[in-house]
Amino acid sequence: MSAVYRAAIKVADRFVPAKLQPLWNHEAGPKTIFFWAPTFKWALVIAGIADLRRPAERLSLTQSTALAATGLIWSRYSMVIIPKNWNLFSVNIFVAATGLYQLARIVNYRRELEARNKK
Amino acid sequence: SSSSGHSRMSAGGNLFTRGLRYLASKEFRSYLCSTHFWGPVANWGLPLAALADVKKNPEMISGKMTTALFFYSMAFMRFAWRVQPRNMLLFACHFTNDTAQLVQLCRFTDYWYVKDEAQRQQLRRQYEDAAGEAAAEVAVAEPKK
Repeated sequence: MSAVYRAAIKVADRFVPAKLQPLWNHEAGPKTIFFWAPTFKWALVIAGIADLRRPAERLSLTQSTALAATGLIWSRYSMVIIPKNWNLFSVNIFVAATGLYQLARIVNYRRELEARNKK
Repeated sequence: SSSSGHSRMSAGGNLFTRGLRYLASKEFRSYLCSTHFWGPVANWGLPLAALADVKKNPEMISGKMTTALFFYSMAFMRFAWRVQPRNMLLFACHFTNDTAQLVQLCRFTDYWYVKDEAQRQQLRRQYEDAAGEAAAEVAVAEPKK
């Protein structure tokens, strides 16, 4: 499997324009996990946005809290680490935002339910 | 550390004493104050949330989010392994998350694609009854609010 990958990269290397070579070969560049793992975190944001259409009674309180918390903490940390990681910062801001929005929906829904049950 | 005062024990003391000494060391204290430690700690919320959700109603599982989290944790397992220095706490966190998300994915698939509507209705009623009982207990405990 890795032989196929290495062959493909060898071919791709020839097509990368000279100006982009330093980026292409960067130690945190597109050939490394240090690039793709944070980039893949955007999938959590996309899934979160898709979930905005779910009814509030089907949302998981624990999962939304966990996502909001991790998003907020990592937004801060990505500015504290050396070097600053703007990609990580932006993705975590969005993770926190979608998590907090879903959390607000769940809390509102449960409050309404309680109020309705009391009547 | 010298073993001059510990002639009857193995060099440096037994495992327990050495462990305690490490916990009190400057090295460990500076680790506790680093992003290397607190970053992964922040991420542990995700697997713990998933493990808590395993006993809840499978209708609460979001197929999209669970799948996304599964691949996300796979990527970060490799990230934690390859980052310098290697971060085993982060690796453990994402390994646990992948296990938990896989369990949830299996429950989700089973509920929506293996069970038939009658079984789903029965499960729905079971969860509603359980929720009703829990609400009743709360009402008994706080009669006036």
